Amino acid sequence: MKKGLLLLALTTLTLVSCGGGNSTEQEKDASGNTIVKIMFHVNKTTAEGKAYQKRIEAFNNAYKEEKIKAVPRFEARTSDNKFEQTLINMKVEGTLPDIITFDAPNCASYAYAEILSDISGQISQDERNDFLSLNEYNGKVYGLPIQESSAGFYYNKNLFARAGVDVSGYTVDNPWTFDQFKAVCQQLKNSGITPVDMRITATGDETATYLLYSFIHAAGGDFVSKDGFTATGHFNSAETKSGFSYLASLISSGYTSYAIGPTDFFNGTVGMYLSSGWTIDEFRDYTTNFPDRNSWGLLPYPQGTAKASATGSWSYGVTDNGVADKSATYKLLKWMSSAESTTVVTNATGMIPSRKSCNPTYEVGSAEWVLLEQLSKTGKERPATVCYPKFSQCFGRIIDSLSKSNLSEIIDGQTNELQKLLNERK
Amino acid sequence: MLVSALIIFAVFLLIFGLVVFFDVRKAKKHNQKYHFGRAVTAFLLLLPATLFAFFFVLLPILYSLGYGFTDYYLTKPNATEFVGFDNFKAAFEEIAEGGDLAKAIKNTAIFVVVVVPLQIGLALLLALFCNNKNRGTVIFKVCFFAPVTVSLAVTAYLWKEILTGSETGLMNQFLALFGIPAQDFLRNDDTAMLWIVVASAWQGCGFQMLIFLSALTGIRKELYEAARMDGCNAFQRFLRVTLPGLKPTLVYIVITVFIGACRIMVQPYLMINVYADRNITISYYMYEQVFTSYRVGYSSAVAFLMTIFIGTITLIQRKFLGEKKR
Amino acid sequence: MREKRVRELIQNEDVKIVKKPSKSIYGKIIYYIAGICISLIFIFPILYMLAASTKTMEEIARDAGSIMMFIPNFSNFGHILDNYKEIFNEDYNVGRYALNSLIYALITIVLNVLINGLAAYAISKLRFPGKRFFNFIIMFLIIVPVESSIIPLYTICKQLLGLSGKLSVLAIIMPASISIFNIFLFVQFFSSIPKEFEEAARMDGANTLKIFFKVILPLSKPIIATVAVFCFIGVWNDYLWPKMVLGTNEDMLPIQTALTTIQTADDVTTGKIMASLVVTTIPIFAVYVAAQKYIVKGFGTGGLKL
Repeated sequence: MKKGLLLLALTTLTLVSCGGGNSTEQEKDASGNTIVKIMFHVNKTTAEGKAYQKRIEAFNNAYKEEKIKAVPRFEARTSDNKFEQTLINMKVEGTLPDIITFDAPNCASYAYAEILSDISGQISQDERNDFLSLNEYNGKVYGLPIQESSAGFYYNKNLFARAGVDVSGYTVDNPWTFDQFKAVCQQLKNSGITPVDMRITATGDETATYLLYSFIHAAGGDFVSKDGFTATGHFNSAETKSGFSYLASLISSGYTSYAIGPTDFFNGTVGMYLSSGWTIDEFRDYTTNFPDRNSWGLLPYPQGTAKASATGSWSYGVTDNGVADKSATYKLLKWMSSAESTTVVTNATGMIPSRKSCNPTYEVGSAEWVLLEQLSKTGKERPATVCYPKFSQCFGRIIDSLSKSNLSEIIDGQTNELQKLLNERK
Repeated sequence: MLVSALIIFAVFLLIFGLVVFFDVRKAKKHNQKYHFGRAVTAFLLLLPATLFAFFFVLLPILYSLGYGFTDYYLTKPNATEFVGFDNFKAAFEEIAEGGDLAKAIKNTAIFVVVVVPLQIGLALLLALFCNNKNRGTVIFKVCFFAPVTVSLAVTAYLWKEILTGSETGLMNQFLALFGIPAQDFLRNDDTAMLWIVVASAWQGCGFQMLIFLSALTGIRKELYEAARMDGCNAFQRFLRVTLPGLKPTLVYIVITVFIGACRIMVQPYLMINVYADRNITISYYMYEQVFTSYRVGYSSAVAFLMTIFIGTITLIQRKFLGEKKR
Repeated sequence: MREKRVRELIQNEDVKIVKKPSKSIYGKIIYYIAGICISLIFIFPILYMLAASTKTMEEIARDAGSIMMFIPNFSNFGHILDNYKEIFNEDYNVGRYALNSLIYALITIVLNVLINGLAAYAISKLRFPGKRFFNFIIMFLIIVPVESSIIPLYTICKQLLGLSGKLSVLAIIMPASISIFNIFLFVQFFSSIPKEFEEAARMDGANTLKIFFKVILPLSKPIIATVAVFCFIGVWNDYLWPKMVLGTNEDMLPIQTALTTIQTADDVTTGKIMASLVVTTIPIFAVYVAAQKYIVKGFGTGGLKL
């Protein structure tokens, strides 16, 4: 008995003492293959996940001779920011994989937190020019986009016909104005249809920020200074506030509300639905109301004094996980970010390829075409700041408070919160 | 971090060694002797608990104080520097200018002040209600107790569903029976916290009821009879016999419910899926400071202030409630 | 005077109970009506959860607003368990998460009773130098609320002890296995066990550990049940801590934390969510029913005096 107890005590001690100790060598498996770990933000069973898997398998075949093996891992991103927390957790633990996918606006924040490492040296000038955008921080490249995205207003053609609304004239080159947007909403409302789901309840994660920030830009507003360290005077400028009040007026006029359920649009009770390119796929699950592509359409963002639309998607980044020799990692990065891989992935997701050389061809007038047009003509990125998660939280809180009478004060308060943190990081 | 942990462990051992040394010397003076083998056995029995308590109870408390004086950034532990009282100053400034921390304190205070009496009072009433030999009381007991078996996460989801702002929500349909228009209970700044209180009290009070019930059965029946003989009515019997009999249990319940209420986070976090004025609590605030802004140092300073505050109130409660016993 | 009367009363107790005036029939009716009303207030969310868990999206929408929303879908009896079948398949994997939680809870209970029980036994029954030190530490740690040190605990587990990757499981189990309050409860209970039991065992040649396992523990069932239930509730209910320490290991998540993952799954319906909530609730209900007799005793022993 005593021996057993001693054993228990000893195991406790060894458990306690065996912690820490980051290896700086790239891991190898039993047969001598260099293991490169890569983590994706999607579920293995989704079309996107399958596309990644296909490319990983192709990589492993091509690099059999060189004894490099890529091991993928799939951590589906859910609406409670779990993926982001997982990344931070891995950094704290010291278990970051070699390559991760990350939401592009987090680039500066992750670079600052030493989750990502500088990959400027790995990209030639030609390649730089081929990407539609790069994820940069302090003049260095930290991420290569997988695909690009844009968002817009999906609309239910049946309901629009019933309300007698004609929106065929509104294109990317000839956008509707803020007022015209409201006029359409009013017409829908007159016919007893809930006009639009602005996704103002999607504040639990990045969704609301991603879909709505461009309204502020379109109103002439701004969030942070160029260097990313001043929010005061930008986030709470008169133009920014006017952008938020426009969104607020959509609620007060009864065009949208916090009570709209997440599937109300698909169940045919709401006229318009603000969402990104991924929604094109989602229509397949709602064949009763949307039997085919002719039953719905996509409208670009309405524009105010300036032109802006939502952009940004997920990128590949090489992590700062203490591994000294990253040559195998870079080979996998090159492979996954190549035009060929990009084409495979974007064919699966229906999103816009991040490389010009992929040269996608969409039918003129199709939803994909509208998104691509919009992206290249009015796309504007989310603010680059080392406190991006905090920014997104502040933005979400304002969106959550749109129906309050002291909106202006709330914006000032959130600006202050963000500025305080920025001052600390300067 | 390893170094500081080792130093603390060494100090810990040193103090223990000193105490042992003095104990042995004292025993010698009184011509008593410790049984060597039995002392070793005792130390061995205490070893696992001591190690666990050291790493998972004592060290976190000490670190929470230690980190408070540093600029510990979650992902860069090696770049940590000593910053003096900056974090504490920042916390007090945040409170002074009515920032998030002030709102968090306000919400937590509302929650604690409402939920502690509500939950305990409800638990006591239910316990008195069930404390008889009527047929079928067991069924009532099970009903009152059932919510306890629903965990916090489930409670949060269930009540979110009940209180949803759409017209098809359960509570809105109930109100519609009386012609009251649909409301968004959890979006309203004034009522959100109160509904969180309702959900928490609903889930928690059955457990305290059970404790009260077991304490009630411990009160000797003769005392009631004696009081009845003395001409006390039901209320007087409650005051003179039941309450004094429940006192130790009551102290325990008040303290545990109070401490539990102070750390409230999961319900507001899950019932309202955005970090907003109406649902920030102190624990939620500290959590967000770490996982959104990566400020471990600052968060620890807040944690330490909170620890001191809760500790003080608990001591006061204990003193206040304990003295009355005499 | 009064004491004498009390003594008389004890002797005549049986007689007294018989003589007790029976309550009026109206009082009883009021009592039962009140009881039913309060009971309904307490269980309506649970009834709703149970009922909705058997329905499809359309059926929930159909029943909204009528009493039917509290009644399971008996009209479509063959499909009453459809949601449950779904949530146990690969996409949702509720069974896996529930099993994780159960395993964590059971291991924690065993460790908790062993670690804290052994320590309490040493403190309450053995004579050794340095006891004052332990007594002081226990009193000190009971007063200090540990709840606010979750962040340092996180960094200790991750950065000092290196409980990362698969070892993260230990970060769930180990901190939950120590409870100063439980040591305190055990000490109080053990102190109330008469010395004679031990001495008799020692005469028979039993060593200290044997006495603990063969004599003390069997006598301590009520307190063990109390500690086990506290422990089970703690582990089963914990949401935040597993989310913090297990973030990277999806398949090790306990059920409470996995609930958010289930709720955000692609084709999830209210019915399926409700079904997973029911599954989450059943084990804890079972534990209470099983341990109820002992819990009441454990509380009744006066072990709760702080």
